[in-house]
Amino acid sequence: MAESSGPALIVEGLKEAGVDLVATLPDINLHAVLERVAADPDLVHVPLCREEEGIGICTGGYLVGRKCAMIMQNGGLFNSVNGIVSTLLQYNLPLLLLVYYAGDVGDRSFATNGAMTQPVLSALGVQHFILRDPNEAKALIKRTLVLTQDYKRPVAVLLTKDVLGRRSPGE
Amino acid sequence: MKRIDCFKVMAELAGDALVVTGAGANTVEWYACRPGDGNFRVRTMGLVSSIALGMALGLPHRQVIAIDGDGSLLMNLCSLPTIARKNPPNLVHVLVDNEVYEASGEIDTATGAGTDLVAVARGAGIRRASWVNSPDEMRTVFSEALEARDATFIGLKVERARSEVPPYPMDEVENKYRFIRHVEQTEGLSILSAHMPASFLKDS
Repeated sequence: MAESSGPALIVEGLKEAGVDLVATLPDINLHAVLERVAADPDLVHVPLCREEEGIGICTGGYLVGRKCAMIMQNGGLFNSVNGIVSTLLQYNLPLLLLVYYAGDVGDRSFATNGAMTQPVLSALGVQHFILRDPNEAKALIKRTLVLTQDYKRPVAVLLTKDVLGRRSPGE
Repeated sequence: MKRIDCFKVMAELAGDALVVTGAGANTVEWYACRPGDGNFRVRTMGLVSSIALGMALGLPHRQVIAIDGDGSLLMNLCSLPTIARKNPPNLVHVLVDNEVYEASGEIDTATGAGTDLVAVARGAGIRRASWVNSPDEMRTVFSEALEARDATFIGLKVERARSEVPPYPMDEVENKYRFIRHVEQTEGLSILSAHMPASFLKDS
């Protein structure tokens, strides 16, 4: 039976989009997503030590015909900036970036990361869409995968605690 | 030892392997030894081995070779445990260690001060990791690596000298397209496609 939780819908969306290689680095709020990715026999899962290497791994995967995605916290997005600029943007390469939006309104963690997330993406010219409603997860992920391929640039989906099924203390 | 003498041996043995190169001299000297569209030049320092890992995992039956530099690998050491964890048998990671940031003005890297990157690779979990001291030894070790059932890391200590070879003949975007078309042709894959107007779609 299909599950309707945000994390389940995110992974279903990735698979329906045709994604078959996923590079990840944990955050507690991504745990339920990463557990599903790791357990899925249809996905090549590459657990990372630092996020920028994932930009390289997904680039290599794309160049040989894979559809790739990265899943990480926004701090990991910041760790990846040189790879995004001098590989993805320099070579016009698509990549779907699923980024946990720590420090988002109501999130109560890493407020500075939250404040810098959209400005950094905008400065890089990386289009981004905020995913708050689990019911929109599959459609947005599938459309974003198409967009990144058409645009030949990375495109980000920001994953909020609401869509990840997490709640901050006091919220 | 000159790097190009090891590259000549590798080029004889590499067949149609996909090859990823990084800093300037490695790229142009490799390309002089084995020209063609199965070569991909990386511009983000550190990502040579990561891009090669992605290729090796994406095409498990195809041989992939990373030609890395010491400055580059030092910037992305975390690639070594990630390679060890996935252990693709079709990946050979060749480190060309000249102990300097050659393209950046020959300033010393940490390897000249005692950092042993083969030991680091082994410590990261890559069991097949060794130094090679001559082109003849490279012939043996590289041949074994191509047949191995685990990922291999090979360290080459080389002179701080470039060989006279032509410049790289294309920019990043052309390199990308030529490389992808080469993969498509040699693997029978369709990777690139153009979006067609709606009137071309049957259901529109």
